[in-house]
Order: sequence, then C-alpha cells, then structure tokens
Amino acid sequence: MKNDETLNLASNRTLVLSSLEHDQLANAKKHPIARRNLKGPELLVLWALRVYVLFMMTVVAYQVWIAAH
Amino acid sequence: MNPFSTPVENEVVITHEDVDRAHDRSRVATARARRGFSSKARLLWLLVGPGVLVMLGENDGPSMLSYAATGARFGIGFFIPFVALTFCMAIVVQEMTVRLGAATHRGHAELIFDRFGPFWGWFSMIDLGIGNFLTLITEFIAIRAGLGFFGIPPWAAVLLALVVLYAALMSHRYWTWERLTLAAAVFNLVFIPVALMTHPHWHAVGHAFITWHPLPGFNKDTLLIVLADIGATVTPWMLFFQQSATVDKGMTTKDIRFGRIDTVLGAALATAAAIATILATAPLFAHQMTADNFQAAEFAQALEPIIGRIGASLFALGMVEAGIVAAITISTSSAYAFGEVAHKPHSLNLPMGEGKSFYAVLTLCAVAAAAIVLIPGLPLVYVVLVVNVVAVLAMPPALVFLFMLVNDKEIMGDLVSPLWANLLSTAVVFVLTGAGVLFGISIIAPNIFAALGGK
Repeated sequence: MKNDETLNLASNRTLVLSSLEHDQLANAKKHPIARRNLKGPELLVLWALRVYVLFMMTVVAYQVWIAAH
Repeated sequence: MNPFSTPVENEVVITHEDVDRAHDRSRVATARARRGFSSKARLLWLLVGPGVLVMLGENDGPSMLSYAATGARFGIGFFIPFVALTFCMAIVVQEMTVRLGAATHRGHAELIFDRFGPFWGWFSMIDLGIGNFLTLITEFIAIRAGLGFFGIPPWAAVLLALVVLYAALMSHRYWTWERLTLAAAVFNLVFIPVALMTHPHWHAVGHAFITWHPLPGFNKDTLLIVLADIGATVTPWMLFFQQSATVDKGMTTKDIRFGRIDTVLGAALATAAAIATILATAPLFAHQMTADNFQAAEFAQALEPIIGRIGASLFALGMVEAGIVAAITISTSSAYAFGEVAHKPHSLNLPMGEGKSFYAVLTLCAVAAAAIVLIPGLPLVYVVLVVNVVAVLAMPPALVFLFMLVNDKEIMGDLVSPLWANLLSTAVVFVLTGAGVLFGISIIAPNIFAALGGK
C-alpha cells in the first residue's frame, strides 16, 4: 500500500494533475455543489412527487397487509 | 453562475484514489492519442464497463425468474418484443446518467442532495437503500436456489456468494473490480445456449417480433407480469450505480460517446439473455405446465426432461451468476449512495483504511441480506414479484430528478438534453408512471380489471 510520502512524489503529482480534471480530484469533491434555485413549476413537480410517494407507500403497505392476512 | 468550486493549484491534495484513477486515465489518454482501428478497439476496451455491468447486473435473479415465469406462462408472443422495448427504455434513461457523471464527476445521490436539499437527498438514499436491500435478499435466494440444484446446502451457497463478492473487492482498485465483475457478468449469456437446446420455433419468434402476437389476456396477473418485466429492466439502482461507476472510473465529457456505446452494448447483451430465458422456458407453456409451482432452481428441474441434465445445469448456473453479479453491483450502488449523501469517501479505489464506511456499508448490506435468506419458509415467488413492483413504483421520483438534473444548465453546460432526448425521456417517464398507477389500481380495485374481461 502506498504511504503518504510515496503518494506525494512529484511523479505522482504530475501524473494526477495531467490526467485528471480538477473537479475529479477526491479533495475537490468534498466541496458541495451549490443548491439549485427552484422556481414555480419545479416546486410544483416536487410537491407532486411528495403526493406520489405517499400514494406509493400506501399501495405497498396495503399490499403487504393483504399478504400478511 | 458556476455551482462548482475549483481548488487552486497549491491547495491540491493527492490521495490514493486520485493516483489510481490517474493511472487509468493515463492509459485512456494514450489510446486516444493513437490512430487506427486497434487503438479505437483498445479505447473501447478501456472505457467499456459501467453500461455493460448495469444492464447485465439488472438481469439479476428476480429478473431472470420473471423472464422464466413469462416464458412458462405465455410462451412465445407479445412478451418477446415487449422485453426488447423495455431495454430500449433503459438505454434512454441510462444514457442520461453517463452524461451527468461525465459532466459533473458527482454521483446521482450526491447531486440530488446538493441541488435539491437534504430532504430529497436522504429520501433518495433511503428509498434506494430499502429497495436495494429487498432486492439483495432475492439475489441470495436465487443463488441459494441455483446452487441447491447441485445439492449444495443453503449456508454453503450463501457463503460462497459472499466470498466471491469480497474477492472482487479485495483489489481495492476500481479497474480490477470492474474487469472481474464484467467477466462474471458475461456468463449471463449462458441462457442463449440453453434456449438453443430447446429448439425454439424461430418462425414464431420472428412472427412475435413483427406482430407482437399472440397477445396475452388482459387481467391482473398479466398486468403484474408486465410490471415485473418493466421492473426487470428499468430500476432506480441502475441510475445511481451507472452514474457513480462512471465517476469512479474517471470518465470525462470526452468519453461520453464511448459511454453511450457501452450502454447500448450492455442493453443488447442483456436483451439477448432475457429473450433467451423466455425462449428456454417456453416449452413449459407448450407442455401445458404453468409457472405457479416453479422457483429459480425448479425451472431448471422442470426443464431437465426437455433439455437434459447439462442444459438444466447451465440454467441453474445462470441463475447463480445472475444473483452473484447483481449482489456485487447492487451492494456497491448502496455503498456509493451512502458515501455521496453522508459525504464520506466512496470509491472502489480506496484502500480499506481510507474507505471504512464505504466498505462497511457494502459488506453489511450483503451479509444481512444473505443471513435473512437462511430463514426457512420465505415466500420466494411473491417476494420476487413484490421487489420488482416496488422498484417500478419507486422509479418515477428517481426519473424526475434525473430529468431535472440532466436539464440543469448550471451543472451540465452544453451537455443538457436536446429536445429529442427530452421527448424520449418524457415518454419513458409517462410509461413508467402509468405502469405504477395501473398497478396501484389493480391492488385497490381489482374488480375493475375483472370487469374488463380479466380474472
């Protein structure tokens, strides 16, 4: 297994920086992407999703209840 | 506005994950720089993986059982072209995950969490986790049943599957894991020689492809099989897995074309295996046998008088392979999603010490599902069908987020979906949502289907 010293060898650093895009680096992915500013239609879609999820859970729960009896 | 924050040069910290991925990308860059057919073929070899794995991974234990049940119950007819159509739908959906992964270098769960907030991020992760866990149980059921055909006791079958899963992980290297799993996944094509052994009625197969006939009777049972077949080809874990694997493999926007080829190739192989399974069990329909009393290994037993011991053994081994490959990919999908939402390291390039939570989630999911399978008296066929149906019902929210993300110009730039892709994906969302709603109606008001001429 590579230790920290070998990891930071100049050759590794060169290879990584030349082969990977900046936002591919593991450290870069620790920074979250900015939250999306949701507008009217998108909010409506998300509320519709909530209703669908409730419906879905009811149907599955009902099916499980029927199977259990 | 650029939603990504880019580290400046002197802030760059190199990790094991970066070095391993850089080696993979370096080989891709070398192949791309060369000209000629052999270089293109090598480039394809290097970039193929997530698409083939996701499609053959979805040809899992429950799916193959569902196809086997379809062949035994309906024979050669409507379901042959229908299954091919569902894989076309899968291509439309999975292509979007390739673009998302290559453009953002983030997993699906991570994007939902970051762009739509923690509620939807955790909801998606938990939704995926539950679905994946239920599915994992059925994978181990298929493995147990398949190896049971050879007289291997359940505990040994389950243990063997866990050893294979762990062995693939031991390299701590995405590339090695991917190649080992691909090698196992290709064994899914074993259903093709099994189908050939049954001497299919090729004229009837061709007729079914062209005319979609004979049609099955319209009733609740048929609807359940239709939903199960949709669930067998398009499920939420596929979105999460392929996007995460695309990111872990290190694919970039330059690789999208090959990512598409990878996806289409996977779908073609999976379609061939699925149709072969229907053809393999079609003789059971011709012999007036029903699927009601068959489970994974029992299909092999039922086929033995028709295709002999070797054919039946291959069928049982196919079920084992389907279960093992899916157990590997699905548990990996859960581990990726957990790491993405919990902001923990998540890569198959991580050494054990740096990826404790990633490997712990992966192993715990697999071990817990394997242990549950050893509980006697599980209603196998019912569990399998319910899992597929749950997957169908959970699909619309996953698709809506996919649709919104892939059209998010802030993160996708010029790679947002073109109009034709949006029209196609909208049609797929409607078909899948419609399938889910119809299933709901069939549960709440089964008499409606009886009134339409069904049972």
